[in-house]
Amino acid sequence: MSSDHAAHAPSSAPNAPHALRFVLHVWRQKNAQSTGEFATFHLDDVSPDMSFLEMLDVLNERLIAAGDDPIAFDHDCREGICGACSLTINGQPHGFERETTTCQTHMRRFEDGATLYIEPFRANAFPIVKDLVVDRSAFDRIIAAGGFVSARTGSAPDANALPVPKGDADRAMDAAACIGCGACVASCKNASAMLFVSAKVAHLSLLPQGQAERGRRVLSMVERMDAEGFGNCTNESECEAACPKGISVANIARLNREYLRALATES
Amino acid sequence: MTRRLSSSLSSSIGKKALMSVTGLLLIGFLVVHLAGNLTLFSDDTGEHFDAYSTKLMSFGPLLTLAEIGLAVLFVVHLALGLRVTFENRAARAQRYALERDRGSRSFASSTMLVTGCLVLVFVVVHLLDFRFRERASDGLAAMVVRRLSEPAGVLIYLVGVTALGIHLSHAFRSALQTLGLNDTRFDRPLVRLGRVLAIGLGVGFALFPLILFSGARKHTQAAAQAPAPVEVPADVPAVEEAQR
Ligand code: HEM
Ligand code: FES
Repeated sequence: MSSDHAAHAPSSAPNAPHALRFVLHVWRQKNAQSTGEFATFHLDDVSPDMSFLEMLDVLNERLIAAGDDPIAFDHDCREGICGACSLTINGQPHGFERETTTCQTHMRRFEDGATLYIEPFRANAFPIVKDLVVDRSAFDRIIAAGGFVSARTGSAPDANALPVPKGDADRAMDAAACIGCGACVASCKNASAMLFVSAKVAHLSLLPQGQAERGRRVLSMVERMDAEGFGNCTNESECEAACPKGISVANIARLNREYLRALATES
Repeated sequence: MTRRLSSSLSSSIGKKALMSVTGLLLIGFLVVHLAGNLTLFSDDTGEHFDAYSTKLMSFGPLLTLAEIGLAVLFVVHLALGLRVTFENRAARAQRYALERDRGSRSFASSTMLVTGCLVLVFVVVHLLDFRFRERASDGLAAMVVRRLSEPAGVLIYLVGVTALGIHLSHAFRSALQTLGLNDTRFDRPLVRLGRVLAIGLGVGFALFPLILFSGARKHTQAAAQAPAPVEVPADVPAVEEAQR
């Protein structure tokens, strides 16, 4: 289906003075088993105020009206907090804008007339479900392997009842900003999940509630990560640059530290 | 426990930790090797260098032990390097149509296997040149000078040290991160040390082919012009000489 759809069916708004034009090459793939390919769409009335996903919504409405299969893509909150949106724009997860999810990226940020390649996150550990939707349940299984605190921590204690040094609290908060979108895996040339796992491990290992399971947690999570088929980290920091939440690779240094420490001390 | 340890060392982090430890130990060796080699420039006759080499040889079995240790480090590092690289390539079966880097991926970081293999080839040639060849009667310094006065020798040695320098420019920084030393109070001085080491070792080793080939040293010209001496009698190896 190497189609070249002219998806400029009459839109409700007449060409507004600021309408933008784009050529989209969108990855279409029926399911995990089939081989996909790019389909090309020409859009010439994109509002600069649209978000990237709204642009895809409009395209999909036209595809549906024309009796075609709409493009499947993941999304949920559309406000940059859930991590569901997951595609790559011109080879970059969530597009070129730093610390911005796809859903928060607006069409005015792209050059008028630009050609955009829209692909799913690519990694063996994230099999394609359909079109731009990938199965990221490998992350869930890593969390299930130990990314939690199993002790009952009760209701919120009084402030300062559990002293946490300011630096640790800040680092834990920064790590906890990870929304688990998988952009780190998608951007890494090794499809490594180290940034995600490191954010979760750092978050819990820095806080008092995380101490009891600290060693076992890191060993189990890394074991699961490897079993899922993610690659090894080669310290090139592409993940940090792609992360919509700006999670630092300092967390990976901490993960490595935690792992080697657990290796030496856990029985 | 032991099972856990060995399986953990073959995990993604375990493999990288072993690579960085073996790599750092090899860097340690290179520092000592360079320091020793620099004696070649400390006089005009090569006597200091020959004395240094004779002294090393006098360690006999201890030297052999150290050589075996180095070989093990090298082989472990190389085997893991190959394994990690191929696993990493396999982790993304279908590649992107368009790839754009925007982190700190660099020429050095994306060519680690290539530069590593160039170093491997170089090390083999280097060992055949000076370790597994009969010692010439006019000394090791003269052998080095002769080898590095040939265009082919200079080319091989320059390619070897350049590859090493590029490898190290990513390697040291990477090893700090792998061992969890980044984001600690040590990281700034260590990063600086890494830069000094990568440049120091690269430039340091490059001095030998450059200076010797250019003929800037007196003993160079003498040795280079002298024909290679006839074979040393096989029953008088340098080790015995040293033991006298
Ligand atoms: C004197 C020789 C060598 C030294 C001093 C050295 C040193 C290092 C160091 C310190 C690292 C960093 C490890 C880390 O990322 O944590 C490294 C990485 C690497 N080395 Fe070497 N190395 C040498 C030779 C070789 C050889 C012969 C190969 C050939 C296969 C090789 C292949 C690699 C690869 C592929 C990496 C990248 C691993 C990664 O980034 O994940 N190295 N090296
Ligand atoms: S849809 Fe929730 S972060 Fe983009």
